[in-house]
Parts: sequence; C-alpha cells; structure tokens
Amino acid sequence: MSKAIKDEMTSLERVVAALNYQKPDRVPTAPLVCGASSRVLGVTYDKWSTDAEACTKSFLQAQELIGFDAFVTLIDLSVEAADFGQKVIYPTNSTAYSDTNNSHIREVEDYYKLERINPRETPRMKLEVDVIRGLSKAKGNEVAITGFLYGPLGVLSQLRGHDRLFMDCIKHPEAVMAAQEVITEVLCEYARAQAEAGAHSICLDTLYASQSIMSKKMWEKIEAPYAAKVAQAIKDTGCVLSLHNCGNGIYFDAQEKWLDPVAISHAYPADDCKTWEEHVAKWGKKIVTIGYGEPSSYGLFFTEEQAIEDSRRMIEEYKDCDGGFILATGCEYPPNGTLMNAIAMVKASKMYGRY
Amino acid sequence: MATKEQEILDKLKQGVIDYDEDAVIAAANEALAQNVDAHAAIFDGLVPGMVEVGRLYEEQEYFVPEMLMCADAMYAGLNILKPHMSVKEGAKKGVVVMGVVQGDVHDIGKNIVRMMFDASGFEVHDLGRDVPLDKFVEEQLKTDSDLVCLSAMMTTTMVGMKEIIEKIKEKNPKCKIMIGGAPVTGDIASRWGADGYARDANNALKDAINMIASLKDIS
Repeated sequence: MSKAIKDEMTSLERVVAALNYQKPDRVPTAPLVCGASSRVLGVTYDKWSTDAEACTKSFLQAQELIGFDAFVTLIDLSVEAADFGQKVIYPTNSTAYSDTNNSHIREVEDYYKLERINPRETPRMKLEVDVIRGLSKAKGNEVAITGFLYGPLGVLSQLRGHDRLFMDCIKHPEAVMAAQEVITEVLCEYARAQAEAGAHSICLDTLYASQSIMSKKMWEKIEAPYAAKVAQAIKDTGCVLSLHNCGNGIYFDAQEKWLDPVAISHAYPADDCKTWEEHVAKWGKKIVTIGYGEPSSYGLFFTEEQAIEDSRRMIEEYKDCDGGFILATGCEYPPNGTLMNAIAMVKASKMYGRY
Repeated sequence: MATKEQEILDKLKQGVIDYDEDAVIAAANEALAQNVDAHAAIFDGLVPGMVEVGRLYEEQEYFVPEMLMCADAMYAGLNILKPHMSVKEGAKKGVVVMGVVQGDVHDIGKNIVRMMFDASGFEVHDLGRDVPLDKFVEEQLKTDSDLVCLSAMMTTTMVGMKEIIEKIKEKNPKCKIMIGGAPVTGDIASRWGADGYARDANNALKDAINMIASLKDIS
C-alpha cells in the first residue's frame, strides 16, 4: 500500500491549482457531502434544510471529519422554487422536495404571472447565502467554497412539475421562456449575493442539458440563452463558473459553447464519448472534471477498500490532464450513506493522488 | 385488409408518432364509425405507433418531452377505443402494480413504463408518487399482481425499495419486481433481489418491453 502524501497546500490552494490546470500537491477531493453533513452535527434533515446556523455547522464539522477540499453548498433542488411560492415538503430524515401535486404553476397562463423576488431576503435563498457567509468566515481562507444554484429550467420544473414542463417545452415554449426571463434575473442576483458572501466559485446545475432528458437542440433553444445569462453573471462576480449535471450523455459541447465553464461536476461521460477513456482524451484538458464516483456505491455498498480502489482508478484515469481533476462523487453523496467512504475517498487522494 | 381500415390504422400509428393528439382522437372516432375492430385499432394502430416511438427513443431522435407527448396522444386514442373491446379481447395479459416510493415525486420514468403496460393490455394499478412503502405490499396482495415496478430518483428514497422487495417476496415469491431510477444500478437490483432493472427513463422503455415479454412467458 502506498504511503500517505504529506500535504503541501491548503485545500483552497489545491482546488485553485486543479481548476487552473496546475498540478496540485495531490488530487483535491470534493465528495459532495451536503445533506449527509446533518448527521455529523446530529440535526434532523428538515432543520438542516431550514436553519442556516445548523447547516453551516454541519458543513464545517463534516469537513473537519472527512477532510475534503471544497464545500459545495447544495441544500436541495427546491430552494429557489420555494421562494417563488412553491409548496415544499421537509421530511425529518430525507431531502426536502417540491410538492408537485400542488404546483405553483398550474396553468399555462401562470408562467406569465411569476414575479421577481429578492433572493437576499427570501427565506431559502437567503439561507444558502448565509451558509456561504458562515463558511467563508470560518474557513474561507483554507477551504474552497462553491455556492450552488439550480438553472432556470430546473427552477421552473420545480414550480410546474417535470412532466408538465417538458411537454410545455413543445406545446408552449414562449410561456416557458417568459417565465425563465424572470427566474434568470433572480438567479443573477442570487449569484451576486453568493459571491459577496464569500463563494470562490458557483455551481450552476444544468440538469436538463443531457440525453437523459431532452435533445441538445431543445436545450439550446429553451434553456441555454437563460443559463448563459446566469453564467455570465457568475463570471462577472469574479467567481469560477462550474456546472453540475448528473445526467447520462451530457452535452459538454453545447455547454462549452453557451456557458464556457471551468469545470463540470458529472457522473457520466459526455454525449460525444462512449467511454471515460474517450472523455478524458477529448475533454480532460478543456473542462475540469469533478467526479465521477457512483454515489450509491460509495454511500451504501462499498467497503473502505473498494472505495479506495475505485478512487485510485479514477485518479489514474485522469493522471495526464495536467492536474485538472477533482475527485468526487458524480452527484450528491448519499445523505443516508456511510461517511466512512467519503473519508476513504480523501484517503485515496493522500495515497495515490500525487502527480 | 380493407384499404380504408388500413388507412385508419396508419392514421392512428402516425398520430402517435407525431404526438398529434387531435389526429389520434379523430382516427379513433373514425375507426369506431367505420366499424374497425377496437382491438385491431389498438394493437395494429396505436401500439405499432408506440413501438416506433420506442425505436426513435432508442435512436435518440426522441427524448423525454417527445415521449410524454406521444404517451398523451396514445392515451387519447386508448380512452376512446378500449371501452369498445370485447370482453375476450380485453382480457388482461397480466397485472402490474407500480409507483414511486415514499419521499420521491419523480415519476416520469414510471409513467413511461406504465404507458407501455397500458398499451399492451395489462391491468395497471398505478399508485402514483410518494407512495408509502407498505402500500406496495398491500396492493400486490390485494391484486395478486404478476409484477411490481418501483421507482426512485434519490438515494434516500431508494433504500425503501429493499424493504418492499423483501416483504413482497416473503409473501409472494412468484411476483416479479422491477426497479428503476437514477441512483439504481443493476448491482443494486441483484443485491436486493429484484428481477428487473431500468437505469433511467432512457432504458425504462426497453426494460418494460422485456418485462412484458417475460410476463407473457410466465402467463
């Protein structure tokens, strides 16, 4: 077994180096431990989702315990929609979610009735901003902080219900786009608030830009112009733009064209690559991969040895990308999973992550 | 086959492919007016349309939005034609219980699978989304279903499937269980004792077709 590598950089320096294709002392890790952090502090999930102080403390303690290099402040995908008026359910021990049986947008006309809100004042987006502020104050000089916001179409899906929204993309595209105009303005302001609170980078979730959901052509017509505005607002703050997309066959080329991110957090290779080997050869030196361990395996099934071996394999896969790789799970670490394998991921970086 | 009847069947098929609900409704009504057998209208018109939609889905010419639109068109025709099937023709091919497990409201994959079972003449008991775990067990026992389909999109909700599978298999070992959703893998399906696995909406359709074939074998 390899000897552990002695750290020569802070977590923040390590992440910054990777995002700039400068080889860090070792591969940075960001296992997307978000909701799972509630179990480190010992608070219920609903409290974690709605109480900034509890959420911040949870993230901090999880980082102390696990040793990951970047906070990713994904609370859940209903945050923005809740502030637009969507009813949200907060289970005691699971992720909060929009009650799409009670959709905020019930009829097509309702798309045109969305009103601009101030994310600095609304409950849940303000919570996200407050969490970033708290993390920045406590660890902003040492650990990378990545804010999180759901893309315009994603927010809309929470307000309308996925199935109805997807059909409306065909039947009523003008209405869908009109609503995104309003959402986009709010998301731009939300990004500025996250940056001011201390985020080093902001992650825009563009879940629907993948073969799992819609064609590239439809995504470019329906969401890309709005996501591009949010992306620009993020860049204008000086924050690094990253994307998250855990869909299958994600559209790297279209997202590069419209959004030009530094990094993408993803679970599967791009749509123009059949294998990870192909993906690394084609995209590895253009857009930094944050990924791509299978969350359920890490959280629910792997032994520590299996988690370390899987992480070693991913590090090996990306070894020739000039340092442009962040070891992570391809989507949120299972909130109900064992944290031992998040620790194992960091351990693997220390054992095998030297360039 | 009479040219007129074939023409109507083609309209039904093409209407589904073009996700043209109005065209399908018109063709279904025309079928009844022209005394086209309702069973033929469904299985030689609507179903071949959905088979072609499935092919377009596999070929990635169609994606989830198009698939949902096609489903709506097919249901529009099915709702008109099904009441006119004879009892013998309408005899169920099997019974399926399906739903999205508690805490989860992502139901697109489940709805796509449901559509295929509906179109193929199965009796479907769709429990919807955010379904309490015990409800699946109760419904399976109540209906003596051949198959239970469970869907989840989150790891927090996915783990409920294991409990459901154990309870159903304990009470009815012959019942087939199919699971699906983004966090689910083939390995997980095997570990938890499921008989089938659909990774996401992209291959849910294919797996649904396979499961239908499998059910035909056992029925």
